[in-house]
Amino acid sequence: MSQFTWFSGRGPALLEAQLDRRIGLAEPAALDHRPLGEQRLVVLDLETSGLDMKRDRLLSIGAVAIDRGAIDFSQQFECTLHRLDHKVGPSVLIHGIAPSAIANGVEPAEALLDFMEFVGDSPLLAFHAGFDQRMLARALKQSLGYSLRHRFFDIAELAPLLCPQAKLPRGGLDDWTRYFGLQVQQRHHASADALATAELALILFSKARRQQLDSLLALQQRLASWQRRQRAHSL
Amino acid sequence: MSKSDAYTQAGKTAVLQNIHGTVEFLQKYPPFNQMDLAHLAYLVENCQLRFYSAGETIIKPTDGPVEYFYIVKQGHVHGERPHSAKRGTETTFEITSGECFPLAALIGERATRTEHLAAEDTFCLLLNKPAFVKLFALSNPFRDFALRGVSSLLDQVNQQVQMRAVESLGAQYSLDSRLAELAMRQPISCTPATPLRKAVQLMHEQHVGCIVIVDPALKPLGIFTLRDLRRVIADGSSLDQPIASLMTLEPFYLPPDASAFEAAIAMTERHIAHICLVEHERLCGVVSERDLFSLQRVDLVHLARTIRHAGTVETLAALRSDIRQLVERMLAHGASSTQITHIITLFNDHSVCRVIELTLEDLGDPGVPFTWLCFGSEGRREQTLHTDQDNGILFEAADSVTAADMRRRLLPLAVEINQRLAQCGFTLCKGNIMAGNPELCLSRHEWTRRFNSFIDEATPENLLKSSIYFDLRVVWGDPHGCDLVRQGLLKQIAGNSLFQRMMAENALRQRPPVGRFRDFVVARKGAEKDTLDLKVQGLTPFVDGARLLALAHGIETCNTLERLRELIAKGVIEPLDGAAYEEAYHFIQQTRMQQHQLQAQQDRPYSNRIDPDSLNQLDRRILREAFRQAQRLQSSLALRYQL
Repeated sequence: MSQFTWFSGRGPALLEAQLDRRIGLAEPAALDHRPLGEQRLVVLDLETSGLDMKRDRLLSIGAVAIDRGAIDFSQQFECTLHRLDHKVGPSVLIHGIAPSAIANGVEPAEALLDFMEFVGDSPLLAFHAGFDQRMLARALKQSLGYSLRHRFFDIAELAPLLCPQAKLPRGGLDDWTRYFGLQVQQRHHASADALATAELALILFSKARRQQLDSLLALQQRLASWQRRQRAHSL
Repeated sequence: MSKSDAYTQAGKTAVLQNIHGTVEFLQKYPPFNQMDLAHLAYLVENCQLRFYSAGETIIKPTDGPVEYFYIVKQGHVHGERPHSAKRGTETTFEITSGECFPLAALIGERATRTEHLAAEDTFCLLLNKPAFVKLFALSNPFRDFALRGVSSLLDQVNQQVQMRAVESLGAQYSLDSRLAELAMRQPISCTPATPLRKAVQLMHEQHVGCIVIVDPALKPLGIFTLRDLRRVIADGSSLDQPIASLMTLEPFYLPPDASAFEAAIAMTERHIAHICLVEHERLCGVVSERDLFSLQRVDLVHLARTIRHAGTVETLAALRSDIRQLVERMLAHGASSTQITHIITLFNDHSVCRVIELTLEDLGDPGVPFTWLCFGSEGRREQTLHTDQDNGILFEAADSVTAADMRRRLLPLAVEINQRLAQCGFTLCKGNIMAGNPELCLSRHEWTRRFNSFIDEATPENLLKSSIYFDLRVVWGDPHGCDLVRQGLLKQIAGNSLFQRMMAENALRQRPPVGRFRDFVVARKGAEKDTLDLKVQGLTPFVDGARLLALAHGIETCNTLERLRELIAKGVIEPLDGAAYEEAYHFIQQTRMQQHQLQAQQDRPYSNRIDPDSLNQLDRRILREAFRQAQRLQSSLALRYQL
């Protein structure tokens, strides 16, 4: 591998090989009417140094793939990012990632390239996806100069939409896992949380199919009209 | 790190974290709990997780040859077959968490004959067929399980019965199971020269709480646990020094044939959380507290630790109910009477020690080293939950004047300990056999003199006393003095055939309640009409007989079953007879405890009286045989001592 470092004007310093990989990343696929059972989706959970989307940094990524209607145990991703000058903040108590793990982590540009290669052109799923989307987009911008355009679906929105009888309009991941009686192995660990979110997604997709919402496009349309109604309601 | 390395590395940790959780889940169930960890990890890595909502079909006959091995992760699956006589379908089996299907179809490479439906919202792990085939070839427990599952319908029924038992027991093992079966994974070991950092890294990678340090022949030299690591870090020791300088030397070990129960007892007694399994001086496994805990759902070790560190007598008193619950659960889970009496004795010993320590803290050290003795059933380690105090104090004094002075200093402490023990649920002894009694707070010479007087003047009263005091044991303090007293006692008895004869007569006093014509002899009238006493009429003949023979043959142990075993070893009784006595004693004790449990459930007072007609046919017959064994023991004593 050439060690020549390629400097772009304002972007981050990347190795030539990294630049090649960035160029090789797949374009996000457009949403279509494909049945949910034939779709590949990546469910992710991020651990960050805090909840401030402007200042806090991405510390680790956990992700599992839902492929053809099943969580595939051979397709899992987890990576802790190497952060220089990482300071231990109060959120270490929540995510529980030791400073030593951060010090031994993978260099951020490499980690993010690995992750985006894992994602491919698949849409993304997360619980409270807005947060993960922004944190990931900012990290990709800073470390790779890459603009994230993949579509995100928010399980926190899909769950009350598809399962209104639960009466959990603002339920958290814990509320929903409890509601469906899921056994979560280790909460606040990125990959365990991603797995729990993925299990939730499988249950919700099964409910969506019964409501004739058997594609991401159909789900997106229903979600948009539901959001409009919610907004009208609150006015 | 190159790109591909980084990728595999990233992939690997991800696999470890999430797969580890699923492996842990599977390890609760057969055959996965017997499988090698690497095989299990391979299994999980090749699985997909699928959701089936209630009523959804998982596989059906028209799907063609089965492509996956299904493991229920959560939920419930029904098998439905077309009804043979009527129209419609019938449910042929139920499959729940940790169980697998459809083995017969998968191995026969055909379609299933039964439609499998999700009876409720269900998650299944699906192992693809190539991976199934590979595991079938690699893993012996997996293959056995897969084959046994299809051998016959009867087997399947049996297996389901077993599975149900497994569910209520928490695992397929009882406390009698061999440790070799529990130590599922290869032990993690390293050489003495390994730097601590590397050893800890290895422990971390393998998700284990301890590492065993071995020599080239795999003989364990030491052990290092996460608890030790905490100490090392607190001390600020270097992580680069060889582990040999930090390990605990000569780790405790058991043979792989030892039982889970023995391991639990060893952990409780020694306050350790890991036990090495060693065969022919080679390390072959490690059993951790967690392995046992998942086995029993009864946290013995933890409870013992809590008792040992209780800060006040009130806490100890409150813990008594925990002990009661533990015993109840153990009985419910099929623990044997021997195991339970042993456990109760252990907890009582811990409680007594703690009460003594707390009292010493509160009243101050009397300045006289002393040993706390116990007698009777406590001395024999045969206590049940409701038990009297039978205790005393032994100390060393040069002469009788010093002894009197020491006694004066010890008595207030002893009285206080007796009172506090009463507070903790050890009923005060009606016969005043307690350390607070000046007659039972004696120097070594005084004890010896007292015991000798029992032997020399074998009055009925002294015979009764000897049956209590000669089952003595140290609970707290230096055991040396007690050993000397016991040795003197054994010597004295061995040389006194008259006393032995008197004891034999005494041992024949309680006749087992079986008659020549009717099967049981029960009380004819009064409140005890139609009942017999399991303890006095059933157990006492064995206890008295074993005591007599043990004391006469210089056997030091006090426990009835251990005495019988040593008597066999010494050739005093025939092995077959000994085994029969042991079994009989065991059965009567078990019946008694089950009866106590029943009484507790029905809020009735504890009683040792039982109406044999309340037993089922089988138990009735066994009980009668057990009493007959007591009769045989008595007639052998009569013959031996020409009574």
